[in-house]
Amino acid sequence: MNDLLTLYKRMVTIRLVENKLQEYCFRGEAGDLHFSKGQEAISVGVCAALRQSDYIVTHHRTIAHEIAKGAELHGLIAEVLGKATGVNKGLAGEMHINNPTIRHMFSFQLVGTCVPVATGLAWALRYYKKTRDVVAVFFGDAATSNGQVHEALNIAKIRRVPLLLVNENNGLAGNIRKEYYLPTETVAERMAAYGINAITIDGNDVEIVVKAAEFVVESVRSRSEPILIEMNTTRLCHHKQGQADVRSKEEIAKLAERDPLLIAEQRLAVTQEAKEQIWQNTEKVIDAVFTTVKEDPYPTWNSN
Amino acid sequence: MSKDPWFRNRLIRDAIYHAIYDRMKVDPSIYIMGEGSHMKIHFDSPQIEKEFPDRFITLPISEDANTNFAVGMALAGVKPIVDVITADFLYRTMDSICNTVAKTNFVSDPKTIIIRSEFMTAGPTTGQRPESLFTHIPGLNVVIPSNPLDARGLMDTALQEKAATLFFEDRMIEDATTHSHDMDNKGWWDKIPLGKARIVRIGHKLTIVSYGLTLRMLDLLFEREKLEYELIDLRTIYPVDLELVCKSVSKRGACLIVEPDVTYAGVGAEITAEVSERCFGKLRHPVRRLGAPRTTIPASRALHDYMLPSEKSILEVAEELSK
Repeated sequence: MNDLLTLYKRMVTIRLVENKLQEYCFRGEAGDLHFSKGQEAISVGVCAALRQSDYIVTHHRTIAHEIAKGAELHGLIAEVLGKATGVNKGLAGEMHINNPTIRHMFSFQLVGTCVPVATGLAWALRYYKKTRDVVAVFFGDAATSNGQVHEALNIAKIRRVPLLLVNENNGLAGNIRKEYYLPTETVAERMAAYGINAITIDGNDVEIVVKAAEFVVESVRSRSEPILIEMNTTRLCHHKQGQADVRSKEEIAKLAERDPLLIAEQRLAVTQEAKEQIWQNTEKVIDAVFTTVKEDPYPTWNSN
Repeated sequence: MSKDPWFRNRLIRDAIYHAIYDRMKVDPSIYIMGEGSHMKIHFDSPQIEKEFPDRFITLPISEDANTNFAVGMALAGVKPIVDVITADFLYRTMDSICNTVAKTNFVSDPKTIIIRSEFMTAGPTTGQRPESLFTHIPGLNVVIPSNPLDARGLMDTALQEKAATLFFEDRMIEDATTHSHDMDNKGWWDKIPLGKARIVRIGHKLTIVSYGLTLRMLDLLFEREKLEYELIDLRTIYPVDLELVCKSVSKRGACLIVEPDVTYAGVGAEITAEVSERCFGKLRHPVRRLGAPRTTIPASRALHDYMLPSEKSILEVAEELSK
């Protein structure tokens, strides 16, 4: 069900899982994790528009995508915290997750890699396995400065692969501002070079994201061609934990007015009481998972 | 026959395609891909072109994305053979090979991915030998056959291994020097596991270890000079058959490694270290290496002979070590 309340609750889950993980970072019990605070509407909205059988391929900032695609929280959190019970037995960590049960075929820490891999996957699904599944690949605006992304867009269009290109445009490359890497106003206009159709939308309004993604995904599926949705968004956290931010506190506070959770709350017109209820209930579920993960063993070294 | 080695040396290539064709017949998941694949298949393997017209994909000159594209295919169950054509282009796809292929295979169930390329010698950026770089990366097998029989058997094996394999083709190995016993039907169907070296010539006093082009050079030299040392063809430089090498060296008390690649930080350096550690008490002489100078390859053919150890230097060192 893609009603706003369900989508909102999913975004709250992501926010709270990340908040909890952040505490681990502060205590030095986790590495410098990459969070999606402020960008949750994109993963939640796009995954809601996909079928369960569709695939996603993602980048380093991927805890949100995992949850949005329906990952079982225990396996995800255990993986992020390096436990043997993680989806990849603690070998992958937050940035290299492969979770085939929810059809999340890898996150790639190295910027840009996800796009060519997703292109190959989409090709094989359509022309080798002969399925109707599509692949949604998530990548940032800064990733479009990477050569591999352009090489892949070229192949994706030539080979007509069913690929939904989800560009999460937060105007930042790690800690570097847009003027250092993006010569155009939008990412969408760069697609003209490959004859790839593209639209630009507000990526912080989860309802708009779902509607746009539903519409585009069906086009990708039926026409078997790559299409890009550029989602303008706001990253409200640092690039990674433990790193300073190029932006001032005031600037981030200003961006926080566009927090996707806030937008959804306003539209839902939830009372403060109802809101607190949702957050508390979600937190309870998450806390229980963290408690069990805490008891889980770390992987042992197998020299083979 | 053309003097141009591009057209001259075909036997190893034919054997590779023979193995690929045979596996394609029984395994519908094998796909060939790379720059101009349809043209390469057209000239190299008309049989594959005729029987499997949908199973080779021509991709643009974008090596890095092409290899990552293959990883995506592998995630959906395809066994891709990525043709990077000349080895120098491997530098352009080091990222997808070392960061994507090797690492995805570590994080979850390993997939079969073959990356092919060939060695030529034509100039600064056409003739480099990057093979030893890949032996340093966990998760990659590196194969360099020196004859058609090994080429067929090793490709056959690589296509059935759930692993990533870099499969090199040494195009400077001349067809005219190929023994008939290295291409006839006897042994054609033998399984050759990765990581098993072959004793090419049985001998005493000294073990000479090599692979690829220099192995072929040595074989000819042995024949002409009637040398009676032991000659071992590594066939795969990762994994390396150290058991066989050390067993041979322990009996003979001396070891020479002759490699077609730069010796500095190369395959020979690794084997020297291992042999020195494992056979220390049995060695009469320090382990020696001969290989390519650490220099950029000049374009003029007049200079290409200097890019490999000379027969004279091999004979001299071998003579010294056999004492």
